[in-house]
Amino acid sequence: MALRDLKHAKANNPGRWLSVRVRFLGLVFLALLLGVFGRAMQLQVRERQKLTSLAQDQYLRELEIPARRGDIVDRRGVPLAQSVEVDSVWVDPSLLPEPLPAARALAKELGIDTQDLLERLEKGKRFAWVKRQVTPLEVQKVKALDLPGVGFTREPKRFYPQRELAAQVLGLVGTEGKGLDGLELAFEDELSGEVATRSSVRDAKGRKLFTEGREEDLARHGASISLTLDRHLQYLAEKALTKAVEDARAAAGTAVVLDPRTGELLAIASAPRFNPNAPQGAPKDAFRDRAVTDAFEPGSTFKAFVVAAALDEGLVTPTTTFDCENGAWRIGRHTINDTHPHASLDVKHILQVSSNIGAAKIAQKLGREKLVDAYARFGFGERAGLGLPSEGRGVVPFPRADVALAAEAFGQGLTATAVQLAAGYGALANDGVLMRPWLVQKVTDADGVVLIEGHPQEVRRVVSPQAARTTVAMLESVVEKEGTAPRARLDEYRVSGKTGTAQKVDPVAKGYSDKRIASFIGMVPAEAPRLVILVVIDEPKTDVYGGLVAAPAFKEIATAALPYLAVKPSRELETPPSVARADAPKPAKADAAKPAPAPEPKAAELKPSAALAEAFARVDAISETPAEGSVRVPDLRGIGGREAISTLLGAALVPQVNGSGRVASQSPAPGSLVVEGSRVTLELASALPAHPR
Amino acid sequence: MNEQRKPLAYDPILLGCVLALVCLGLVMVYSASAITAHEKLGDSFFFLKRQAIAAGLGFVAMAAAMKLGYRRVARLAWPFLLLALVLLVAVLIPGVGSAAGGARRWIRLPGVSLQPAEIAKIAWVVYLSYSLAKKREKMRTFSIGFLPHLGLAGILVLLCMAEPDFGSSVALLVMMFVLLFAAGAKLSWLVGSVLLGIPFAWTAIAHSPYRAKRLAAFWDPWADRKGSGYQVVESLMSIGSGGWTGLGLGDGRQKLFFLPEAHTDFIFAIIGEELGLLGVAVVVGLFGVIIWRGVRAALRSPEPFGTYLALGITALFAFQAIINMGVAMGLLPTKGLTLPFISYGGSSLITLMGAAGLLLSVSGSGEGAQRRVVKPARRVAPAPMPVTGGASEAPA
Repeated sequence: MALRDLKHAKANNPGRWLSVRVRFLGLVFLALLLGVFGRAMQLQVRERQKLTSLAQDQYLRELEIPARRGDIVDRRGVPLAQSVEVDSVWVDPSLLPEPLPAARALAKELGIDTQDLLERLEKGKRFAWVKRQVTPLEVQKVKALDLPGVGFTREPKRFYPQRELAAQVLGLVGTEGKGLDGLELAFEDELSGEVATRSSVRDAKGRKLFTEGREEDLARHGASISLTLDRHLQYLAEKALTKAVEDARAAAGTAVVLDPRTGELLAIASAPRFNPNAPQGAPKDAFRDRAVTDAFEPGSTFKAFVVAAALDEGLVTPTTTFDCENGAWRIGRHTINDTHPHASLDVKHILQVSSNIGAAKIAQKLGREKLVDAYARFGFGERAGLGLPSEGRGVVPFPRADVALAAEAFGQGLTATAVQLAAGYGALANDGVLMRPWLVQKVTDADGVVLIEGHPQEVRRVVSPQAARTTVAMLESVVEKEGTAPRARLDEYRVSGKTGTAQKVDPVAKGYSDKRIASFIGMVPAEAPRLVILVVIDEPKTDVYGGLVAAPAFKEIATAALPYLAVKPSRELETPPSVARADAPKPAKADAAKPAPAPEPKAAELKPSAALAEAFARVDAISETPAEGSVRVPDLRGIGGREAISTLLGAALVPQVNGSGRVASQSPAPGSLVVEGSRVTLELASALPAHPR
Repeated sequence: MNEQRKPLAYDPILLGCVLALVCLGLVMVYSASAITAHEKLGDSFFFLKRQAIAAGLGFVAMAAAMKLGYRRVARLAWPFLLLALVLLVAVLIPGVGSAAGGARRWIRLPGVSLQPAEIAKIAWVVYLSYSLAKKREKMRTFSIGFLPHLGLAGILVLLCMAEPDFGSSVALLVMMFVLLFAAGAKLSWLVGSVLLGIPFAWTAIAHSPYRAKRLAAFWDPWADRKGSGYQVVESLMSIGSGGWTGLGLGDGRQKLFFLPEAHTDFIFAIIGEELGLLGVAVVVGLFGVIIWRGVRAALRSPEPFGTYLALGITALFAFQAIINMGVAMGLLPTKGLTLPFISYGGSSLITLMGAAGLLLSVSGSGEGAQRRVVKPARRVAPAPMPVTGGASEAPA
């Protein structure tokens, strides 16, 4: 059939049969081509996921990049804790031809133990840390060894540009980048951000070619925290406290500066201090944020609360007189003594001379329930609620025995933290309203979204405004010549305060020892307190009285802090203006420029006047911002790299360092005005003449 | 021709498709080879430059073939085939032929390297077209129409296998079967010879470990991902990761030394990866149009030689394209066949563009011939006469 057709076709039209075959072949090819396309569809649409992930497996390497830990800054944005990137050295032990000499060489250059390193090398098959967070110089030394398998990774390291400043409040971060203590621990979740995985493309030879996406976009950076602390006040408090502790040869000390109108903690100082950038050598003792964690028997400072409560109840007036038993009052088997015997004293003088017997008698009049209730209302026996780790609570036991009631009246037999005590006095200074003490002003995430925002928070009205004001007024007599703390007296400001000298309980003997806790707490200016300043000296050796060892530190802090905050002097009218100006020209000038509305208790903002801030900035040698958000680049030429970095970070600039040694050149040039957070490139060189030390 | 209304001497669609593929090829050769070239030769443009020169020469060859006209080429069928045979023999002589990757396929001349197998394929198509057109009445005779071609093909295939070049051998045989089928050879002969050929092919595979491996790798490339299946697996991953629109030109990852021969035999994988299914559709579409226009040219040719030539060349393009893409997508075992007009390789590009010139020449003649039924046939007559007319006058 086919044959005949073919013959027939050939005979009639030789091209026709040919054309059929040609068409047929063309269609076969087109069909095959379509099959090829179908296969492409199958691969590129149906099996895409599988094949893509297989392909990625070989060219993508996932790297974990820790998010940049958020900064901690003070109330004006001065950085207190920052993250910087430093190198860490690691090794792929499988690539080391001879581990022993390599480990020896590495250990020598990095100052680590050879045996330790060898053990790590044996444990890690393909990865072992050699040393983490090394200096640029160490990096160079290791690079010079030219060992196979040794690599470097940038790791974030926590850096505290203000060194010891507020170190105990800030806490610490471990090598793994986790907060260990203080705010770093309390706000670990907020600060740490989210670890992102980054993909980097490698070729078939395993070389890293480029990174997909921008690193900045991928890592979810940690939130930054701004505190109510004021760097300058913190500095003043720490300086005065450290001096007082040293002068008294005391074991430790704390100082708290609080704004009574808002409850903002402006300074929380603890001594001894430590440098959080090199915490290894510091004694364990120094890490504790004493003002927050330690509850101690406060002593006589509590008398003010007893008096305020009694006034509030209408049980006493400032002139109500009590028999002070000539300095010795027997209650059962116990005798209560006064330092200086008095036959009788009115309420005001009980506070002025700090009579234990007088206070006990007022407490007796008040009664157990009301006393305990009053203490509770002042905030004692419950946590202040700063949110810091191991915050102390203090105990106010119910005084069943008469002697216990008497003791609690002068602050023994109960405990409180420094922050609680400052907050309690804050209630007196704030016309009887207790404000919740707070430390964290704002927590802002990387996108600028505010996660937590602190506000002044009224806890409760503790006593009537009259009772509070009367107590504060009576406490002014404490700093008079006849009082317990004439050393706390200020030239320009009226001071209202109270000393405390508590006996410490001997933990071994279970009785009171001869060790003391001396304290002074002041409210300034007395007519409308802007600050509550508490200084506590633990185990002073030279003198034991709060009026002698703690009051001077209070005076030092207050003298500097009040002008800094542009608080109007109390005694402008009492002293001739010319004298006042000669004494302290700066505050006077500032006040002339900006008349401070002193009696304005609800002016929540605590802003230093610009001129003063600048003046203090110069004193501190810490660059303050010339204008909102802009910084002047400091001159770093010739100084050491480490110092230059810390200076830059202190000035809210980001250092970018090349090389090692001293700063040979910097960009931008010294003195140029740049935006806060700008990069400053430092070229370091060790070629400069070495300075012999 | 000095007529005033001169119709186009070629099919513009066909020309457009060929040029489009050549241009796409230049871009993809650069994209696929830049990193390798930079790494190994220090010049990322190395392969692009050479391919561009080859494209220029190929364009000259194409223009020359069009100018010459396919009819004149008929006279060159024998010399051309003899030249191919000489080259195929020469390439086997050590010192003349140069070996690379276990095969002796190139004759390196100063500045150029020649791949005789590429020339042989065109020469073979030209010769077959000539021979079949001449013997058209005797095609159904076994001894005249079938056996001589089979014998000649045997010689060529043996020479190719000696290199060895399995892909070209298959291409030569497929061209023969296509043209014999079109020319009216008996199906029983074709099928019979294929069946007879199977033991030979089997021996060829069984005696060559690398071919056996390739076959195994084809059956299951994933079984030996890092070994014999490596190239195919890498190619599959390339194409698969392209998805609908690809990773973007130049953004392919597989050319980062993962996929060997990314710019030559496996350039289709890079197209799939960087341009996605869209790019694949364009390439497949262009080849589809070439097949359509090639067949159209074959059908419109006024004489059988043109028909066979057009069909043969079209089949060569189609076969190589299908095989190359099929290999890249794991449909066929690995062969050394280029993707026409796109793969890097001077010999291949120049000869294929020359062949395209011949195809274009046929496409032009067909249109003219069909439009003016009688007159142009006479005018054109002197040249094709010997071919269409009688066997005796064929140039020796």
